[in-house]
Amino acid sequence: MKLEVKELRKSFGDTEILHGVSFAVESGRALGLLGRNGAGKTTTMRIIMDVFRPNSGEILIDGNNFVPSRFKIGYLPEERGLYPKRTVIDQMMYLARLRGLSTAQARAGAKKWLKRLEVEEYENRKLETLSKGNQQKVQMAATLVCDPDIVILDEPFSGLDPVNSQILKDVVSELIADGRLVIFSSHQMSYVEEFCDNIAIINHGEVVLSGYLKDIKKDYGKDRLILSAENYTLTKLREKLADSMADLVELDRQKKEFLVLRLKGKATKSQLLDRLMASDIDIEHFGIYEPSLNDIFVAKVGEEE
Amino acid sequence: MKKFLVVLQYELKEYVRNKSFVITTLLFAILGSAALFLPRVIDMSGFLGTQTPSQEEAPDQSQSEEADKETMLLYDQAGVMDSEVLDAVFPDAQWESVTDMETITSRIEKQEADAAFVVKSEKEYDYYVFNKGMYDQDKSLFETALGMSLRKAYCEANGLDFTQLESKVYPSFTANEQVLGKDTTSNYWYCYILVILVFMLIVFYGQMIAVAVTNEKSNRSIEVLVTTTTPNSLLFGKVIAGAIASLCQVGIILGAVLLSYQANRSLWGGMLDMVFNIPAEVLISFAFFGLGGYLFYAFLYGAMGALVSKTEDISKSSGGLMMVVMIVYFIALLQLTNVDGIAMKVLSFLPISSYSAMFVRIAMGTVNTWEIIVSFVILVASIFGAGILGAKIYRMGTLRYGNPIKLTAALKDLKKSE
Repeated sequence: MKLEVKELRKSFGDTEILHGVSFAVESGRALGLLGRNGAGKTTTMRIIMDVFRPNSGEILIDGNNFVPSRFKIGYLPEERGLYPKRTVIDQMMYLARLRGLSTAQARAGAKKWLKRLEVEEYENRKLETLSKGNQQKVQMAATLVCDPDIVILDEPFSGLDPVNSQILKDVVSELIADGRLVIFSSHQMSYVEEFCDNIAIINHGEVVLSGYLKDIKKDYGKDRLILSAENYTLTKLREKLADSMADLVELDRQKKEFLVLRLKGKATKSQLLDRLMASDIDIEHFGIYEPSLNDIFVAKVGEEE
Repeated sequence: MKKFLVVLQYELKEYVRNKSFVITTLLFAILGSAALFLPRVIDMSGFLGTQTPSQEEAPDQSQSEEADKETMLLYDQAGVMDSEVLDAVFPDAQWESVTDMETITSRIEKQEADAAFVVKSEKEYDYYVFNKGMYDQDKSLFETALGMSLRKAYCEANGLDFTQLESKVYPSFTANEQVLGKDTTSNYWYCYILVILVFMLIVFYGQMIAVAVTNEKSNRSIEVLVTTTTPNSLLFGKVIAGAIASLCQVGIILGAVLLSYQANRSLWGGMLDMVFNIPAEVLISFAFFGLGGYLFYAFLYGAMGALVSKTEDISKSSGGLMMVVMIVYFIALLQLTNVDGIAMKVLSFLPISSYSAMFVRIAMGTVNTWEIIVSFVILVASIFGAGILGAKIYRMGTLRYGNPIKLTAALKDLKKSE
């Protein structure tokens, strides 16, 4: 299955929120939707789920118009919500049956996912009696209760402690490995890096960067090197490089442990290494720079969140 | 349809599991039945005007009747009252003659006597009573007795036969009533009660449905629901479940009360026939029009619930609807004595009011079959219209949290989106 979002535009009143958002994702892969608060991630997800109608643009599944009601979809909305006064198992079965499962299948599905998310002991408890984290896990279990082919998760990790986050990470990894099509948004870049083959960074309603994460990282790391020295602080090292090697490199950024340098013009890594060896710099770290997703995000979107 | 049934089943289950709903139903049914079984356990013959078997066999019956009689005082300053006439006109009273005003005021204030009359002249008397009841007839009865006493005295003074004169001047008639149409007098009370009942159903359960819809917005479950099934399934399932639950509740209470009355009807002396002995055709028309009107308003209440996101705001969105229900209710009650008037005729065709107006016309007035059919078709079409409009408003209001949405704004947005 391949889901394609093409040129989505959406306005609320006179304000256009999405200015032509496009991306694609296939089964067995996960797409990470990244963006600052208010960038348009949730609106995009809601349009995919037909909560909102776009002003223009289209959503295709394997080249045909995407109609959510024809597919088994697990949707975890940003605004979490179930029935606080009803028991966990009852509402999970209700949602499963609304998605077309028989009573027996719904019960089996509910028990399976409650167990997988380690909240099976609460199945007969009212939702309001559970802690926030457990409510979140129940919500996730309710999202997956119908064993969906398409999983759309809006900020699934928000509000979870590290232990529960790990459980959820494992579940998402299993879904991807199981061939489900996964779209999720998150502010936690490490999770996105862990799961997502594809990313789409949305800023002010526009996709400013999208594609395979490996390619993006490779592209961002091109001509960039890291350097630190035993006998120079990073500040002194910057000054030293500016004085003696300005023809070869310029400073890209200073990280906590090393400097990120960019090769100038036709300069090569070997030339730089030769020059460093000839200098009095006692090299601690020298290598190819691999940018984190956070670096890419900050570079594209602006100030660090 | 399948998803509608899932919603219906889920919502119904919640009513059945709701302890206060079950307890209220049972409590009202038991209390209603118990009240109607009262004549079996306590002596209510004084109130009902009937005799219990034990009373018939009681040896001291005459003494007991004497004790039950009202004590009436008479100060006949003009000397015109005839004691035989008084006893005949007031069979349930025991008359005592007094000769001063102090005794009258003192005994009335101490409630040792029920009432007192001071006859000052042939054309003037004073009436004394401690608390005057709404339906106090003592004055008019006393005037009858005074008139008879004067006529009797006149006859005796002029050598006339009082009995003969009375029979000629006030002849007694034997009337055999044959009502070929509808007896408004006997239908009035159960129509009155059924109009109140359907009004209470609409207001009480309509509000419950609005709260249920608003709760889905306030607990944010609405986004999951609308992405799982259609708004039509959700709203229709919710409203029909509310209708079934309310009908079961009312049915259980009414059924218990009607059965209890039938079991004790002879002990009540048929006294409550005007309330409980409802003809089948009236019950059927009530079932169709009452249920129709209830569903019509239930969908609109559901839509009103979708316009707000906090339950405390429901009164803001449903205030207008409540006003319409109240106006219809008061007009229907005020027009019960004029069911064939133009106001009831018009109201009986409007979906906002036909649930009570057409039902009342069927029970108490003259109505053609075609009028009933047309009114019912309009009502059914309006129910579906209200349901579809309600579902659209419900869907439109899905993610609009915060301040209540005005109905006019919601309708404009709907028009725009279409």
